Amino acid sequence: MGRGEIILDVRNLRTHFRVGSDDLSILRGVSFTARQGETLAIVGESGCGKSVTVHSVMRLLPKNGRLTGGQILFHDNGRTFELHKLEPFGKEMRSIRGRKIGMIFQDPMASLNPVYKVGDQVAENLLQHFKLTKHEAQRRIVEMFASLGIPEPERRILDYPHQFSGGMKQRVMIAIAMICNPDLLIADEPTTALDVTIQAQIMELMGKLKKEQNKAVILITHNMGLVAETADEVAVMYMGRIVERGLVERIFHNPSHPYTRALLRSVPVLDHGKTERLETIRGATPSPAECVTGCEFANRCDFMTPKCRSGIISAYEIENGHLVRCVLFEGAKELPNE
Amino acid sequence: MAQQKIKKSSLALRSWKKLVRNKLAMLGVIVSTLMIFASIFANFITPYDPSKIDFTNMAKPPSWEHLMGTDKMGRDVFSQVLYGGRVSIYVSVVGAVLGSIIGMILGGLAGWFGGKIDLILVRTSEVFLTFPNMMLVLILVAFVGQGINNLIFIFFITGWMTPFRMVRNEFLSLREETYVEVCKAFGISNLSIIFRHILPNTTSPIMVATTINIANYILQEAALSFLGLGVPVTVPTWGNIMNAAKSIEVIRNYWWLWLFPGLVISVFVLAANFAGDGLRDVLDPRQ
Amino acid sequence: MLYYFIRKLLAIIPMLLLISLIVFVAIQFSPIDPINYLASPDMTANSPNLQALRQLLGLNDPIYIRYIRWLGNVLHGDFGYSIVDGSSISKLIAMKLPATFEISLAALIISTIFGIGIGILSAIKQNTIIDYLGRIIGVIGISIPQFFFGIILIQFFSIKLGWLPVGGRIELGYRTWWDHVPNMILPSLALGVSMTAALLRYARNSMLDVMTKDYIKTARSKGIPEWKVYIKHAFRNALGPTLVILAFRLPILIGGSVMIEAVFSWPGIGAIILQGVSSSDYPVIMMTTMMIATAMLIASFLVDLIMALLDPRIRFDR
Repeated sequence: MGRGEIILDVRNLRTHFRVGSDDLSILRGVSFTARQGETLAIVGESGCGKSVTVHSVMRLLPKNGRLTGGQILFHDNGRTFELHKLEPFGKEMRSIRGRKIGMIFQDPMASLNPVYKVGDQVAENLLQHFKLTKHEAQRRIVEMFASLGIPEPERRILDYPHQFSGGMKQRVMIAIAMICNPDLLIADEPTTALDVTIQAQIMELMGKLKKEQNKAVILITHNMGLVAETADEVAVMYMGRIVERGLVERIFHNPSHPYTRALLRSVPVLDHGKTERLETIRGATPSPAECVTGCEFANRCDFMTPKCRSGIISAYEIENGHLVRCVLFEGAKELPNE
Repeated sequence: MAQQKIKKSSLALRSWKKLVRNKLAMLGVIVSTLMIFASIFANFITPYDPSKIDFTNMAKPPSWEHLMGTDKMGRDVFSQVLYGGRVSIYVSVVGAVLGSIIGMILGGLAGWFGGKIDLILVRTSEVFLTFPNMMLVLILVAFVGQGINNLIFIFFITGWMTPFRMVRNEFLSLREETYVEVCKAFGISNLSIIFRHILPNTTSPIMVATTINIANYILQEAALSFLGLGVPVTVPTWGNIMNAAKSIEVIRNYWWLWLFPGLVISVFVLAANFAGDGLRDVLDPRQ
Repeated sequence: MLYYFIRKLLAIIPMLLLISLIVFVAIQFSPIDPINYLASPDMTANSPNLQALRQLLGLNDPIYIRYIRWLGNVLHGDFGYSIVDGSSISKLIAMKLPATFEISLAALIISTIFGIGIGILSAIKQNTIIDYLGRIIGVIGISIPQFFFGIILIQFFSIKLGWLPVGGRIELGYRTWWDHVPNMILPSLALGVSMTAALLRYARNSMLDVMTKDYIKTARSKGIPEWKVYIKHAFRNALGPTLVILAFRLPILIGGSVMIEAVFSWPGIGAIILQGVSSSDYPVIMMTTMMIATAMLIASFLVDLIMALLDPRIRFDR
């Protein structure tokens, strides 16, 4: 398989959560693709559904969440798995989770089980999917630790999580995710809980994996700087929908959805002119319980028209591979409604 | 400020709505309230004096005149249960509330001053918490003696620990919070910070703890009086009514003498526990 | 690790001294003549001169000397005498201990198996019918008075069905230990069930608590089977707090349950305590208290030990 080949194809994904007696629509039709050797960054404010998106793909939703529509297609060596049809904890899904798709979570401090040696925690994934002797497993883990820049790997695999620093813990998490050599790596805000210097190291490491081993990476983040540095493609999420999607340079040079523009104005990016002021987005993120017809962003949008409030908003392809879900672009090529 | 008030009341409203939706908790609240009112207005509900001895009506099984039958001295069991509830509930509620107040005060002292005071109080609370509760109560009975007020005293001596720990922990975690720092910087007095900002945060968990303590004290009063160590036998309480069932002869031949009071105690405690559990679930964001 | 245990073990000693001091002072302040619990009744009766006996017993010595002497006696197993019937407290306790031990142990085993078992199952199957059943058992178990439950058991199994004796430990014609197993069943069951409920609720809560942790998600992301997630990752972490509750229940092995022993006329330590409290027999009360407090200290040492064995953070930090 070569670079750029589609490995994950998510179409019109919908997820609902039961909260109390309410049934909230958290994902309202999300579509994206992940390609080999490329990083897809999913960005948005907290609560926009980016984390739910990847948990839906991994079929790791909490008990009160469920998929209600759409498709999750995972391509592996010519075979296609329909993940949305699998039992979340059934044999088939489990043979993909950990083996074909690895995942890294936000808080490395809380993501490792405090009572087991880190080596054993990595080995658990390896031995679940491969028939290996203990010795062989250990050799591979030591190798993996070394390649991830963990010093003294032979000794460190015998240590417990609390004996590691935050950055080292995240490397262990990456080791867990990568030990079975999966094709897709999902990183859910992998650096949010870390110091800035450590952040850079971890991102560099992930970039290396992507380039050298031709992995597909899905990066969930709210850090636009990180996106600019690492992503190939960007999907901007707002209130359970992808409002804009495209190649990273197009998104940064021609941000088209009012929300994307507002988002970019509200974060410091290095090539920002010194005179430019950082701006905030007017209003607060609405709660998913609020039912809105039309565009979810309309209330906070500077370009709001009566049309924004009526009916279904379509997505438009404003340039090649650059989609925007906004009525401002009605002139552009309209895409089949999601 | 006004906005904050709206936010707060809407939170209270949401919690209340959640509580109403939690059917078991609502059932608990309703049943225990009904039982409390039935006890308070016992004299309107039953025509019988609970301590009136009637030798023409000795040990009669339940009938329309005596819903729960009569005991060996002809006293009406139903009115004994109603009047008994007054004392049992009074003792438990007052004991639990006093215990919570003491706990809050000590928790505040420990949390505010920290250091040695904190250490001593925490150690003491640990000893009280881990020592078998019934033993502790019995030892205190041996030294303090029997009686309604003695029992209340014993209850609040043995029930301050949970509120203490809650208030103390809240103090410790909030002492470093920014808004308390801000309050200090604005020169708001310590007392005002404690009463307006720290204590309100602990009210709901303390309400839960108090409710659950009430349930436990009902059980303890019943146990002590059943053993003959609680309230003097002349005062009708739920435990004292059960005292009769210490003899196998009563268990064998006069089932109504122990089954009804036993059920009443169980139902009340169950209702209080449902209410307490429900309240906790409502306040627990994890649920 | 070893150092940690030794330190914890040594920390018990001052606590023990403190407890003994409290007990000693409590007896001193109780309104009884110390000669009555320091000397056996026949000694006081046969002594021609009580003053001389007082001198002999050292009652006129300063209080700290008396404390040290009393402590020495206690360490030698001489717990003094009951002021009510003049019997030796050590003998009394030694006689009743086996009775208490057997039902408490049975109850402890019953409650541990069912409490942890149902609690964990309830948490895993949260909000299913199994969970509702578990929760109902739990809340009913902590709401029914122990003695009421005991009475119901007696009424049903002993009186109605006639399967088991109504109470007591040893019947006429008692020959071997096995002969009183039928007597043990109901008290063990009554005690066991009431202890199950609290443990069940606790085990369920700590399990639910652990299940929300991020490392559970990590475990699931490895594609391991759910039962492994529950046993290896969730239960292993919920075990610690649950074992703590269990360890603190160990004193019941020597303290017994006053309630259950009263309902089933079981001749154990609980019965001694009850009698002591109702007859204001302070020496008996205080000596049994001291025993239970000592058991509690040992339990708390066990807790430290268990936590250190289970949790590497504690094991390695000190």
